[in-house]
Amino acid sequence: MANAKDYAILFDASHCTGCRACQVACKQWNDLPGEATENHGSYENPPSLSADTWLRMKFTEGVEGGEVFWDFTRDACMHCSSAACVESCPTAAVHYVEGGVVVVDQDWCIGCRNCVQACPYNAIHFDEGKGVVQKCTLCYDRVSNGLPPACVKACPTGALTTGTLAELEAAAQRRVAQLKAAGYPAANVYGLSEMGGTHVLYVLLKHPSTYGLPTGLATQRQKVTSGWLSAGIAAAVLGLAGTWWLSERREETGGDRS
Amino acid sequence: MTAAGEWGIWIVLYFWLAAMGGGAFLIALGLRDERAKRSGAFLAFLGIVIGALLLIVDLGQPARFWHLLVGFHPVSVMWLGSVVLALAGVGLFLLLVLREWPGWLVWATAILVLLVVGYTGVLLMATARPFWSASPLMPWIFLASAYTTGAALLVLLGNHEPQLRRVSLNFAVVEAILVAAHLIWVYPQATEAIRAMLTGELAWAFWGFAILGVALPVIMELQRRAEALAAVLVLLGGFLLRYFIVYAGQVGVLRF
Repeated sequence: MANAKDYAILFDASHCTGCRACQVACKQWNDLPGEATENHGSYENPPSLSADTWLRMKFTEGVEGGEVFWDFTRDACMHCSSAACVESCPTAAVHYVEGGVVVVDQDWCIGCRNCVQACPYNAIHFDEGKGVVQKCTLCYDRVSNGLPPACVKACPTGALTTGTLAELEAAAQRRVAQLKAAGYPAANVYGLSEMGGTHVLYVLLKHPSTYGLPTGLATQRQKVTSGWLSAGIAAAVLGLAGTWWLSERREETGGDRS
Repeated sequence: MTAAGEWGIWIVLYFWLAAMGGGAFLIALGLRDERAKRSGAFLAFLGIVIGALLLIVDLGQPARFWHLLVGFHPVSVMWLGSVVLALAGVGLFLLLVLREWPGWLVWATAILVLLVVGYTGVLLMATARPFWSASPLMPWIFLASAYTTGAALLVLLGNHEPQLRRVSLNFAVVEAILVAAHLIWVYPQATEAIRAMLTGELAWAFWGFAILGVALPVIMELQRRAEALAAVLVLLGGFLLRYFIVYAGQVGVLRF
């Protein structure tokens, strides 16, 4: 469960210039190597998160009504309060630590990749060299020592800020009210309800789906419950059918097989 | 294109072997022949032991596999699956060594084997991959296929009870209908995966399943020809089914 004093990050899309200082700072602080990528027609790079890229800027670009739009969002672990990675982990190697941060115990992870398949943000990845999964730690080593996360520290425009979850929720709501008054009627806060609430909140100018963010997410518990329910009905229905077909007498099947 | 660390061929083989052996055991329990029940238990034991080894090989840290068995994480389908797999292995081993089968042990083992066969579908459903999770049919498809391939395996090993072939092919038809329903159901959310299956990189597995694994054995059964060959085709179909399902779920997850 989320606490008011949990560590948190607020990303304000209305202040972001897409400079990617956060992306570089994340690599530097966490000692992550660069990636060999190919130009795919966008300044967005690399094309997705990986075991070596825990944070990147996501660029959404196109033309709408004759106007070019170029929107930036932060793409990294959201530190969900009801995290699919934690709940799908069969060994509790992926777990919550004090302050609502989701981390991976690298010495306990077995490398089954169930969390990789379960994360709705595609934010946890398998490191083939190490045989374990990796992701953003919300710079737990920094925040637990009173320092801001590396990405926040590097942000030159104030698009990234840090504080307690309650502070940032209030700040996000204030900013959205401001933006609405300034002519952005679709401004909204993302992360208040997704996956039990996330510890990374976004202030967005448009609907989350226009930035490629998932909405209407089911929690891992809900998915597992409906999965077992479906499997139970399947076992009953198919089991009955099988028993019926097995017990049918040969004469009834109309066959002359012997 | 799929991601680094995708669930790949070891998982496909595990899904196939465990379901085939488990299905054979569950079907054999419905037969009168005591020897068939014993061979079913043996097949399930084999499938589960080989399958468990494949799962361990697939881990990023195989030597840490025991971490699965020292906690209690019932929400994790992966954890529950590992535990029922281990327990089903123990139950089947006991059945193989005991001359007289106690009724409670047969029941307990049957339920564990059913869980082994069924959890795989729940595992895929409880992910963020739309091809696996946008419909509730994954457990249905995996269970139906377990019975299809399990019955075919018993036929192939010389069980000539006439209902067996009927059961196998009835389930093959049910399975084909379920697969078709699943594809239509998830199409809006998993368009890219379904294109890959129908016309793209997975088309060989999907059409191989539909034609060699379902249509041809059904025609052969209607004409009452080549019983053994039909059974082999059904087993091949079970493999191809799991191949395209496992890979289609991961289509579009980037690697660079």
